[in-house]
Amino acid sequence: MDYGLNEQQQMLKKTARDFLNTECPKSLVKRMVNDDRGYPPELWRKMAELGWMGLAFPEKYGGTGGGFLDLAVLLEEMGRACLPGPFFTTVVLAGMIILEAGNEAQKQELLPKIAEGNLIVTLAKTEPGGGYCPDKATIRAVVDGNNRVISGTKLFVPYAHIADYIICVAKTASGVTLFLIDGKSLGISYTLLKTIDSDKQFEVIFDKVKVPKKNILGTEGEGNLKLREVLRKAAVAKCIEMVGGSQQVIEMTVDYIKERKQFGLPVGAFQAVQHHCANMLTDIDTSRFISYKAAWKISESLPYAMEASMAKAWVSDAYKRVTKLGHQSMGGVSLMEDHDMPLYSKRAKAAELTLGDADFHREVVAQELGL
Amino acid sequence: MDFRFTPEEEKLRLEVREFLRKEVTSELINEVGEYCGGAGPVFGRKLIQKMGARGWLCPTWPKKYGGIDSSEMVGFIIRDEMTYAGAPVSLVGATMAGPTILRFGSDELKIEYLPRLARGEIDMALGYTEPQAGSDLAALELRADEKSEITMMERGEVSAEEKGDCFLLNGQKMFNTHAHFVEYHWLGARTDPNNPKRHRGISLMVVDLKSPGITIRNMTTIAGWKTNEVFYDNVKVPKKNLVGEINRGFYYIMTALDFERMFPVGGFQRIFDELVEYVKNTKRDGKPLSDDPVIRQKLAEIAIELEAACLLYYQLAYMLDKGEVPNYQSSMQKMFATETAHRLADVATQLMGPLGQLQRGSKWVPLNGEAELHYRWGFIETVYAGTSEIMRNIIALRGLGLPLPLG
Repeated sequence: MDYGLNEQQQMLKKTARDFLNTECPKSLVKRMVNDDRGYPPELWRKMAELGWMGLAFPEKYGGTGGGFLDLAVLLEEMGRACLPGPFFTTVVLAGMIILEAGNEAQKQELLPKIAEGNLIVTLAKTEPGGGYCPDKATIRAVVDGNNRVISGTKLFVPYAHIADYIICVAKTASGVTLFLIDGKSLGISYTLLKTIDSDKQFEVIFDKVKVPKKNILGTEGEGNLKLREVLRKAAVAKCIEMVGGSQQVIEMTVDYIKERKQFGLPVGAFQAVQHHCANMLTDIDTSRFISYKAAWKISESLPYAMEASMAKAWVSDAYKRVTKLGHQSMGGVSLMEDHDMPLYSKRAKAAELTLGDADFHREVVAQELGL
Repeated sequence: MDFRFTPEEEKLRLEVREFLRKEVTSELINEVGEYCGGAGPVFGRKLIQKMGARGWLCPTWPKKYGGIDSSEMVGFIIRDEMTYAGAPVSLVGATMAGPTILRFGSDELKIEYLPRLARGEIDMALGYTEPQAGSDLAALELRADEKSEITMMERGEVSAEEKGDCFLLNGQKMFNTHAHFVEYHWLGARTDPNNPKRHRGISLMVVDLKSPGITIRNMTTIAGWKTNEVFYDNVKVPKKNLVGEINRGFYYIMTALDFERMFPVGGFQRIFDELVEYVKNTKRDGKPLSDDPVIRQKLAEIAIELEAACLLYYQLAYMLDKGEVPNYQSSMQKMFATETAHRLADVATQLMGPLGQLQRGSKWVPLNGEAELHYRWGFIETVYAGTSEIMRNIIALRGLGLPLPLG
């Protein structure tokens, strides 16, 4: 067994940490909350220049052929930095869907543009009244000659307002299908949702939006199969981000409670607080191993359904516990909006409710156990 | 990263599993329960001797002391398989005393004890805790006074067969599990009562439990098995039985705990696997238990915690093989694994409904009473070898560098 990162991954980790420390300070993260776009395009461009967007794409599609584990290293640092922007939705969600479901022409067309940082793609899957299961899609796509016409409402579509393409999960006569829809198509309207993390998630209404048949990703009616795999992998990717965030929370907490004095002693000298911190570190170490094991299995093309759901179930709860105890240990100062802590505690909740919460994934684990 | 065993490790794991499948009988499992996870006198000793003959008892030790020079990973795998099979693994000699002798002991001690420990011929009982020294081990008071042969002869204290300098021991130990059926006591004693730094006045020694002046009195635990009070009344211990340097015992004990504080998860995994089958095959009010969404959630939760405990467990082997010393990591694994095990037993008894209270041997008892037994055992496991609170202290102090609570 090897619990460590290889030399290349360690270098990537260091580069990412240094870069994000300089280019993505918390002041910028906070500024983006009220920014219409939600991320600075120059940061996006610099990340593309570092090769981050194409890190896990094969070379023939403009990537550098890294594995899922390499991507994980990067995501942990992004989670630590609270990086704002459409990286996750463009590279992890849409990138993987195109890679797994798209035909050769679609991959050739889209992936190099994503890798260059010139294309933003998002995923529209959640529906009003729907949960985390993609196969419950009810939006219909009806045949109209060489086009499909889509009508209905999707929720929680990240960065839909700036997306060049929206991958929409819809039902046709043959079943669940993935449609690549031009973000500027006639009949699409967006409304920003006010969310706990103030991230840019939208309600997207499709009103008789025409999509050419050639824009179906992969095979009509077989979207579910591919989507399920991608969502599982994305759940693991999200876990890794969460690990990065929780690591930053404990470092922030420990730094502060070593200095802050009450009753003549550093707050960190009190056992009640020490035990909070011990519980935080336990949650973080277990979250890290369980998430990286799942990421490693994906990287090695080994079966990973059980591990992915174990990770998302565990980390969804663990990250929240870490942020609660972080606030509890630091006290009042951490509750102020201009402190960094609220960024993480809000993200922890948002991340829990993305790609399946603990209850959802525990049910998957139960199924994988043969129950 | 790689979370697989190597092909050689996997081969050995299957070999050990197959061996234990044949050797571990229900009588042995009952004996292990009766003797607190130790190698009991009838079946346990025989089994560990068979394992010892293969070098599997202390695999990481050099060949000349009865090991097979293996990696720590191999040692961890074997112990994991032993608990999975229900074999005794609470072996103080093989996992705590022996490695400390190997690291700090004299050649004389190594030659005298290590091969016999590795062959499973003898075992030891921990002799740390005293009535006033529990979590605060440095408070131990059992006195070991140095006596020279000459003064003892002058006072008529020494007979012809007791030549040589020795320690004279007086005092009391408590909760010394296994002391009533193993051969030796792995004893922490106060050799310098005047040092104001309490932990610098403690020495570690091996004591023959048959020595004159030792009285052992059983105490029965909540899990049914017995631990002991051990009384020392002018007990003579040869000086050559001292481990390492005098007054360095506390340091050796703490170092040993860093290396040896780990809880294999195999035994808990086996109970969990049996529980999954039970839930699939048991109906309540006409419906399989496995249809109940609450039960599904609870079992999944335990499965995840067991996986995390297992990852923490093998991380220790990974670190040791890299030459790193786990310190907060072993405390974290001990705390996490034992707390998980207690939750497992709690959930197991819950989903059996009223049957969850039945004990091994009772009419109607499910799964040989394992769930009920481990529910009681869980109270103990989260206390002995360092309470969960002490583990959290260690994680905070060593893992996070927080200041000592006393300022």
